[in-house]
Amino acid sequence: MVAPVLALAGWTLVIWAWMMATRLPALAKVGVKLGRLKGGTGRDAEGVVPDQVQWKAHNYNHLHEAPTLFYAIALGLAVAGQGDATNLALAWAYVGLRVLHSLIQTLWNQVLWRLTAYIASQLVLVALVIRGAAGFM
Amino acid sequence: MIGMEILKPVAVLAGWTMVMWLWMYVTRIPAMGKAGIDSKNLVGGTGKNLDEVLPDKVQWIAHNYNHLHEAPTVFYAIALLLAMVGQGDGLNAQIAWGYVGLRVLHSLIQTLGNRVMFRFFVFALSSLCLIALVLHALIAVFH
Repeated sequence: MVAPVLALAGWTLVIWAWMMATRLPALAKVGVKLGRLKGGTGRDAEGVVPDQVQWKAHNYNHLHEAPTLFYAIALGLAVAGQGDATNLALAWAYVGLRVLHSLIQTLWNQVLWRLTAYIASQLVLVALVIRGAAGFM
Repeated sequence: MIGMEILKPVAVLAGWTMVMWLWMYVTRIPAMGKAGIDSKNLVGGTGKNLDEVLPDKVQWIAHNYNHLHEAPTVFYAIALLLAMVGQGDGLNAQIAWGYVGLRVLHSLIQTLGNRVMFRFFVFALSSLCLIALVLHALIAVFH
């Protein structure tokens, strides 16, 4: 169970690197002087840098939402000694669908496709939560 | 197993989050249709863009769904830590159940009436439970 958890954490860092690699040049291009910038959050870049650049940031943020539940349940299953077989397969499916969701959101961001990948990943997460609840009770 | 009792409230709060996810979709998708959003050709954007477009009551459910991915992440981390060091039974499990109960109440307040004073009060109470769990974890790890 540790492997898919690590894989998704690693993927999040890949998206982070991608966000930085696209965002920093984009900020420079629109004349934002990082050395003089005070306050604000990443959201302030909305409408300032091109949408395609922000899509990476949106996905980076998104990877800190539903996946936090995945980490909790996956680690809970591992601690309870139930992190193998079906649970492990479901965890890998979740990670695969989240990678797909990232690629959709960062590359062409058609909302209907993004939604479909997201719903598929959430259904896997629902299955893991139910199996976790059954296993822990 | 020793210290595993706390995994029950963990699973319940994760399950509650999934309930909120379903509730969000059941209300949001029809509201998007009603607002005339051409979702087939929609490219880019995030859920926050819907704040100005959809009725407040629909967005409140989304706000709570998002909120359930904030402070509860600390709860999950600390609860798992307590389970791992064998401190997830007894009082800690009870506090964790208290936290989950207060978060469910917080969800109901935010989605149904959304009076900020009530919401704030319940959030503060839930944070006190979380502080207690974090303190217990600190003691367990360092003492």
